[in-house]
Amino acid sequence: MDFSAVGAAASEAFTLASFIGIGGGVLLGYIVGVIPGLSRSVAISIAIPLTFYMSPFIAISFLIGLSKGTAAGSAVSAILLNAPGEASSAATALDGYPMAKKGKPKTALQVGLLASVIGDILATIILIFVAIPFARVALLFGPYEMAAILAFALVFIAGLSGGSIFKGLAAGGLGIFLGTVGLDNQTGLPRLTFGYTELMDGMPLIAVAIGTLALSEMFVQSEKLRYDRAGMSVELKNDRSDHITWPLFRSIIPTVLRGTGVGTFVGALPGLGPSVGSFMSYGMTVKASKDPESFGKGNPKGIAASESADNAVIPAALIPLFGLGIPGNVSAALLIGAFAIHGITVGPLLLRDNPELLYSIFAGMILASLIMLALGWFGLMIFAQITKVPPHVVIPIVIFFCLAGMMLQGYGTFGLVILIAFAALGYLMKKYDYSFVTFLVAFIITPMLELNLRQSIILSRGNWEILLNRPIALFFIVCTLVALVALAVRTFKTGKPVANAPAD
Amino acid sequence: MNRRTLIATAAAIGATMAAPAFAQDWPTRPLTMVIGFAPGGSTDIQGRVLANVMEEFLGQPVNVVNQPGGGSAVAFTRLKNTAADGYTFLFGGTTALTFTPIITPVEYEIDDFEYLAAVALGQNAIVTSAEQPFETFDEIIAHGKENQMTYAQQTPLDEAIIRAIAEEEGLDLAIVPTGGGGGMAPLVLGREVDFAYSGGTHAQYTPTGEMVVAAFMSAERSPFYPDTPTLMELGYDYSIEDYRTVIVPQGVPDEVKARLMEAAEYASESQAFKDITEGNTFFPVVYIGQEEMEASVRRIRAATEEVMGSN
Amino acid sequence: MPRSDFWSGLAVAAFGALALLWMIPNYAGSNPFAQMPPELVPSIAAWIMVVCGTIVAIKGAVIMIRNRMGPLTRDLNWPGIGWALWPFAYVGAAIWVMSFVKLTWFGPVLIGGMLLLLGERRWWMILGCSVVPVALLYLLSVYLMRVGVV
Repeated sequence: MDFSAVGAAASEAFTLASFIGIGGGVLLGYIVGVIPGLSRSVAISIAIPLTFYMSPFIAISFLIGLSKGTAAGSAVSAILLNAPGEASSAATALDGYPMAKKGKPKTALQVGLLASVIGDILATIILIFVAIPFARVALLFGPYEMAAILAFALVFIAGLSGGSIFKGLAAGGLGIFLGTVGLDNQTGLPRLTFGYTELMDGMPLIAVAIGTLALSEMFVQSEKLRYDRAGMSVELKNDRSDHITWPLFRSIIPTVLRGTGVGTFVGALPGLGPSVGSFMSYGMTVKASKDPESFGKGNPKGIAASESADNAVIPAALIPLFGLGIPGNVSAALLIGAFAIHGITVGPLLLRDNPELLYSIFAGMILASLIMLALGWFGLMIFAQITKVPPHVVIPIVIFFCLAGMMLQGYGTFGLVILIAFAALGYLMKKYDYSFVTFLVAFIITPMLELNLRQSIILSRGNWEILLNRPIALFFIVCTLVALVALAVRTFKTGKPVANAPAD
Repeated sequence: MNRRTLIATAAAIGATMAAPAFAQDWPTRPLTMVIGFAPGGSTDIQGRVLANVMEEFLGQPVNVVNQPGGGSAVAFTRLKNTAADGYTFLFGGTTALTFTPIITPVEYEIDDFEYLAAVALGQNAIVTSAEQPFETFDEIIAHGKENQMTYAQQTPLDEAIIRAIAEEEGLDLAIVPTGGGGGMAPLVLGREVDFAYSGGTHAQYTPTGEMVVAAFMSAERSPFYPDTPTLMELGYDYSIEDYRTVIVPQGVPDEVKARLMEAAEYASESQAFKDITEGNTFFPVVYIGQEEMEASVRRIRAATEEVMGSN
Repeated sequence: MPRSDFWSGLAVAAFGALALLWMIPNYAGSNPFAQMPPELVPSIAAWIMVVCGTIVAIKGAVIMIRNRMGPLTRDLNWPGIGWALWPFAYVGAAIWVMSFVKLTWFGPVLIGGMLLLLGERRWWMILGCSVVPVALLYLLSVYLMRVGVV
C-alpha cells in the first residue's frame, strides 16, 4: 500500500466538508430506509443530481453512505411496523417485530443497529484489503457456479418457510412463475406479458416488493384496528431493562460474524443482491442454532443474522466494482453512473491513476459507518417515536409513501395497479399463512437462475463432464441436493416449521 | 371526450394563444426529458448531462424522468401519447424504432415521432479477452474453423448477424444470452466465452488492457479505436447503427422544434457534454440535423428488416 | 383452518391449471432450437402450484370431512369482510383519481380522507399529517431529484 497516498487520503477524508457530506448521505439514506415505499435505488437516483456540485470524493462517499444508511434504516420499520423498508430487511422483521411486540423494541433496534454497523465495518475492511488483489477470484464463479449457488439459495430459503411446507412450495411456485414474466433473454420475444409493453422488463421488482411487504402490511393492520385498537401500537415504555446488555451482545457476536461472512461472499459475487444475503444468513443461523424453535418469536439472533448480512453486502458489492469494474448489484451499478458523471472510470485503473481518491473513498466509507453508529444510536429514540404515533395515523401516511415510491419509478398508473394487486396478494398470503418470503425470494432469484442455467447448458453443449472440472459448482450442487433431501424428510415428518413468518 | 383529446385540445388552444412573439420566449415552464432506461446506464448519464447543458441554453429547468421497460419501448409508447407541445421530449437510441418493432408488436411506429437531432453515435463492438490466443476478428474466425467457439449476445440483432457470419464461415458456434453489458463482462474476462457483443461496456475494460475490441458492428470506425476495422471493411455486409437522438412526438410547432434543435446543437458543442460522453462513455459526439436523421432511421429500419428476415 | 386451506389450495391449483392450459400455451412463446425453451420454467412453476395446491386442498378437505364441516360457513361475518375490503377499495379509487390529478395535489386528500375514515377527528392532526409528508415528498422529488411527474 502506498502510504503517502493513504496519509493524503486520510487528511482529505476528515475535513468538515466531507463530514457534512457523508453525514448528510447517511442521514438521508436512513430516512429513506425507514420509510417503507421509498427504496434504495430510488434514494440513489434522487441523490445523483445532488452530487453534481460536490467534489468526486465527497460525491462518492455521500452515495455509499446513502446506501449504507438505507440498509440500516430499513431495519427500523421492519422491527417497529413489520413493514420492511427494503426487501432485504424482510428477514429482520421475522424476529424483530415479535421482539418489539414483547416489549423490547429498543433492544431489538439496538441489536439491529450494532449488527448493521459491525457487518458494515468488517466488510469495508475486507473490501480495502481484498478488493484489488483478490477481485479476480470472482471470475472463478462462472455460469455453472452461479447457477449452482442460486439453486442452492432457492431450495435453502424455501426450506425456511413457515407453516405447511406445501403452502410454502405453492407460494414459491407462484414466485417462480411471476419471475419469468418479461422479454425472454434469448429470443428477445415477450413471455407472459399479455401484450403489455410495461411488462417487457418483467414484473417491476419495486411494485412486487413494496406491495407484498409494506402496503399489504398496512391493509392487515388497518383490518386489525377494528378489533384491537389499544393493543396495536408498540409502546416505547420507560422500561429500564429494555436495552442491550453485554451478555446479549456477546451472544450475538458469532451470529454477526457468520452474517458478515455470508453477506461479504454474496455481495462479492456479481448479480446476487442483499436479499439473498440476509435470508441465507438467517437460514444458516436457524440451522446452526440449538433451539431453532425460538426463531420467528423474537430471537435477537434472527435480527443480528439478517442485519449484519444485509449491511455487509453493500461494501462487498464494491469488491468486484473496484477490482474489475463489474457492479455487484443494482446500487453498485448506479454508482458507476455517479463515477462517470465525475469523470472517473471505475475499475482496476482507479488504483493506478487515482490512488488518493480510492483511499479517500475507503476512509470515507469507514467514516460513514461510524457516523451511522452515532446517528443510529442517539437517533434511536427519535426514530423510534414512530411507535408512539398511533397506527391509524401511520397507516395512511405509509400508504401514501408506497404509492409515491411507485410513482417515482416512472411506471405511471400501470405500476400502481400492479402495486395494489400485489398488496392484495400479500394480504391473502399473510392471512392464509402462505409464506410471502418464499414467494419474494423465488421471484427475485428465478430470472438470475434461469439465465445462468441457460448459459451453462449452452456453454457445456450438454456435456455433463465439464462439471468435474468445476469443484465449486460441484460443491454447491451437492449442497442443493442435501437441502432438497432435508426438505423432503421434513415434509414427510410431522415436524414443526423452523421459522414462521409473523402472520398475525 | 376522453382525457387525451382534452389535453390535446387544451394544448392546441394554448398554442394558438401563445403563437405571436413565440420564438425566443419558449419555453416558459420546465421541460421533461424522458429516458427509456433505468438510471446509471450510458444513456442515462449522457441524458442527465445533456439536460444540464440544454437547461443553460433554454433558461428553464429540464427535468429527467426515467421510464424503463422493453429497451425504451415503454417510453416511446408514452411519448406518443403526450401533448405535442415540445415540453416533453425523449433522449435515447433509435433501436427501439429500427429494430424492436420487427420482432415484437409495439403500439408506435417510426412516423409517430420526429427526429430533431442526434448528438452522439451509438457503439456496437465485438470484444474478446486479452488473454485469448486471438485478437482480431480474422483471428477469431480462423480459430473458430479449428475449434468450437462460444459467443455472448445481448440483443437478437447482434445474435442474428453473428449467426449469419458463423454460417458463412462454417463455424461451430454456441451463442449464450447475457443480462446486458454488466453480465457480459464477467463472461469475457473469465474466459467463459470466446467473444461477445458490447454496446459500450468495453470502454471500461479496454484502457486496462483486459479487453480487446476485435471489430466494430457500426458502419464507421470509432475515433477511439482508429485501428479497429468494421465488419463491412472485413467483407461482411452487416452493420448496426444507433444514434443517441432528441425525439419529439409528431406535430410539435416549428418554432418549438427550432428552439430544441438549437439547444441540442449548443449541447453538442459544449465542453461538459463532450467531456462526459467522449471521455467517459467513449461515444463520439456529433451533430446530425433533422433531415438526415429522418432518412437514417428509415434506412436502418429497412436494412434491419432484411437481416432479421434472412434468418 | 381446514376450510380456508381447502379454498386457498383450490385457488392456487386453479391458477396453476389456468397457467398450464391457457397462459403458457398462448403467451409464453417458444423456441424449438433452445435447450431450455421459454415455456419450461413457467411450466415447472405451474406444475408446482397445481400439485401443492391440490395437496393443501385435499388435506383441508380430509379434516373437514373428519370433523363433519361443510365447505361453506353459514355465519359469514359481513361487517368484518367489509372492514377488511374498504382500504383496498379506497386505494383503488385513489389510483384511479391519481391518473388525472398529480399526487402532489391529491396526496393530502388521500391521507386526510383515510385518517377521517379510521376515526381521527382532531382537525390539526389531520391537517398536519396530510400536508407534511406530501410537502416532504414535493421537496425531495421536485427540488432534489427534479422529477416532473409526481
